[in-house]
Amino acid sequence: MDGSFDRRKFLIGIARGAGGALLFALPMLMTMEMWELGFYMSRSRLLLLLTLNIPLLILLAHKVGFEKTSTWRDAVRDAAIAYALGIVSSALILAGMGVLRYDQSLHEIAGMVALQAVPASIGAMLGRSQLGGQSQDDDRENADQDPVQKSESSYFSELFLMAVGALFLGLNVAPTEEMLLVSVKMTPWHGIFIVLASLAVMHGFVYALSFRGSHDLAEGTPGWHALVRFTLPGYVIAALISAYCLWTFHRIDDLGVTQALMAVVILGFPGAVGAAAARLIL
Amino acid sequence: MTKNADGKNIEAKNPHWIEWLTGMISAILVVVLIGIIAKDAFTDKDLVPDLSAAVTGMEQRSGGYQIAFDITNKASVTASQVRVLGELKEGDAVVETAETVLDYVPGRSHAKGGMVFRSDISGKTVALRVLAFNEP
Repeated sequence: MDGSFDRRKFLIGIARGAGGALLFALPMLMTMEMWELGFYMSRSRLLLLLTLNIPLLILLAHKVGFEKTSTWRDAVRDAAIAYALGIVSSALILAGMGVLRYDQSLHEIAGMVALQAVPASIGAMLGRSQLGGQSQDDDRENADQDPVQKSESSYFSELFLMAVGALFLGLNVAPTEEMLLVSVKMTPWHGIFIVLASLAVMHGFVYALSFRGSHDLAEGTPGWHALVRFTLPGYVIAALISAYCLWTFHRIDDLGVTQALMAVVILGFPGAVGAAAARLIL
Repeated sequence: MTKNADGKNIEAKNPHWIEWLTGMISAILVVVLIGIIAKDAFTDKDLVPDLSAAVTGMEQRSGGYQIAFDITNKASVTASQVRVLGELKEGDAVVETAETVLDYVPGRSHAKGGMVFRSDISGKTVALRVLAFNEP
């Protein structure tokens, strides 16, 4: 406690977190499959997802958290707040839509809220940083001291951001029946096309299109360097995250190898876009 | 390593060897992924699903006698809305029937389901049959 507790700033932070939770989690809160998964999904897989979310939020808080967290203790605190915001906002919205009712068993209610809390908490964390979490004063101060803001992000933090981006879009679409439907409609040729398209879109997003935050290569570096060092690992991460999401939601349990791969490939497409977007935005 | 300056990110020219190692492993994984799918692209010749049903378990539950079954699809083509008929037989006489629909039985995969019979299943046999399916 440093005594200078700014209540207004704290409340704005909470409100931004709640806003982020809404912005990112509403599509999932309004997905029927997510409600159903809340009560039928395997509790061990739900537990694993809920547990993995803790280090994820802490790392995310450390990397992009609001108020530029300097210590790990701050990161843990921010992660806890984001998780709590995720739980509360999910419960309120599910109850507000009449999806959660008082006559449901505790098992159902806990499962539905817990499952939604994962994307909502990631949303809360991103909302705090991306909805202008760093106040303008901070930026102005930095600008005064150092006109060109310079920082270096390590290779693994780049990969981590890609994983978060892939997880985010993956969680959005993995629970839907459409994933299975699309994967069985596709022939292997479609699958190969989607893999190549994902790689092209990912690479294009980050390097070719001049979005704000886009990446360039140092002068004299051949173009394929970035492909091998960033795009291919990014795609592998997106595919692994897709496989994890599908497994968590029991989407590939009874599938043969080919069908499971097709499902991973098709979910890997939005995953790759999410991974590329995360590199630009975060 | 990526340098962030003025909203621009510039990938470093002399990356750490770990970046190259990760890149190489990733390249191999992507090629393997494409390879597995390509193998199927060349070998898949099936035009219709190939469905077979097998009983995997029988248990007495509060609602009656529960049969668990497994539908296997050996072909590469997926079947959807698979209607399964179960007949409880004593000798040749059908004692009771039950029916269910499975949403999907994807190609080279299997799908599980269950049926409940009221009559005691001991001493009787359960015959399963796929009645109909759609293509998704």
